[in-house]
Amino acid sequence: MLQWLNRLISGYLLMRMIARKPTASPERFFNLCMANRIVLWDISQTGEEYRFRVRLKDFRRIRPVVRKAKVHLNITGKCGLPFFVQRNRKRTGYLTGILLFFLILLLMSRFVWRISIDGNRQYSDDTLLHFLARADIRYGTRKASIDLERLEAAIRSDFDDIIWVSARISGTKLEIRVKENDGVDLPDETVRADERLSIPGNLVASKPGIITRLIVRNGKAAVSVGDTVEAGQVLVSGELPIENDDGETDHIRYVSADVDVYARTEETIRSEIPERTIKRTMTGKVRRGLRLTIGPVSFLFFLCPQQEEHWEIRTEPHQAVLLDDFYLPIQWDTISAKEYQIYEREWYADEREMLKKEKNQEKIEDFLEKGYKY
Amino acid sequence: MLEQIKATAVNGLKLPKDVALGELLVSFIGRSAVTVENYRGILLYDDRIVKLQAKHYRLEIHGRRLHIEYYNNEEMKITGMITGMEFGD
Repeated sequence: MLQWLNRLISGYLLMRMIARKPTASPERFFNLCMANRIVLWDISQTGEEYRFRVRLKDFRRIRPVVRKAKVHLNITGKCGLPFFVQRNRKRTGYLTGILLFFLILLLMSRFVWRISIDGNRQYSDDTLLHFLARADIRYGTRKASIDLERLEAAIRSDFDDIIWVSARISGTKLEIRVKENDGVDLPDETVRADERLSIPGNLVASKPGIITRLIVRNGKAAVSVGDTVEAGQVLVSGELPIENDDGETDHIRYVSADVDVYARTEETIRSEIPERTIKRTMTGKVRRGLRLTIGPVSFLFFLCPQQEEHWEIRTEPHQAVLLDDFYLPIQWDTISAKEYQIYEREWYADEREMLKKEKNQEKIEDFLEKGYKY
Repeated sequence: MLEQIKATAVNGLKLPKDVALGELLVSFIGRSAVTVENYRGILLYDDRIVKLQAKHYRLEIHGRRLHIEYYNNEEMKITGMITGMEFGD
């Protein structure tokens, strides 16, 4: 591969050699070439005719060898860069085109043509893009003018919930990866509960129910397993009577009731479903369109729908890219639109049942999430 | 005499023979290609036979449509339809 490229750059000749034996000796020619370090390759023979290739720079030294071996040489072809340049010397347009291509490529590669944001959940891409735009970073910003470290710091300080930012430029793409603080914040209540433990108090039922399990760590149980309790009833008292030897209360120690109580409770949930439902049906009419954006200029090829018609419009953006991350400022969005009609009708009985079940399941999951056991 | 001593020494020291004695090293890739190393010169080349000079003997590669892919003062690669190989004095 490298050798092939090297030969192509330095140029080589396709040769035809006529050797009429016995006066001429092709073998002598080959041996002499070897001795003079003239490199030949791709040698083939048919009758008196030998064909091979020789490097351009070796060809200049081949004359004495040809004379000694008494063979005749013709050039049948010229390959490689030196000949290509010579052939196309007069074609200035061609050359300008090639140069212009590289120039534009070089020029364009100095700008950011795509910004990708990853890892954000709470803040939308638009929010972050808007923030970047305020910091003068948008599509088409010069790469050199972006201070990545300052950008990272700015994002961290402006968005409280973003705890980690990485910004890097790969090709013409600015990649911003963020990590949001999605760890469970200690809710204030927990903290307060800890503090509350030091203040004496009773534990009271918040709902009526039947006690199924009771683990008392601190305090005096006022109920036992199997008891039916009302809302507001004291379950565990924070008053610990300390008895003396006679079995009489000597004094009362006040503690904060610390206890795990499990109780079976009932909950009735009522939710309403509207009597009628709004449905969409596709009319089957489909329209397609295209939005072409080249730099700041945008063309829309799409028949806009009338006001009173309903269309479901879906846009799929594409951007021209070279080699994975060299994004070009050319974008085309394919638009597909489907017409639909809206109508209202009553729920069917089975639909109503399904909806009920769904709502139920949702509620149950809600409770499970809160720590209820089902 | 000298050659024999040299051969014994090379054998005893377990040196690679192609390097120490200038022996031919011939490697075939199936019957479509052969690489010959350590040859001295080309004696004959046409599309049916390639005759090479080694240090003490000659090597003939027989075949059809023989084609020298490349050669230099160390090795030569011949491709084509190889039918045989022969040593001669």
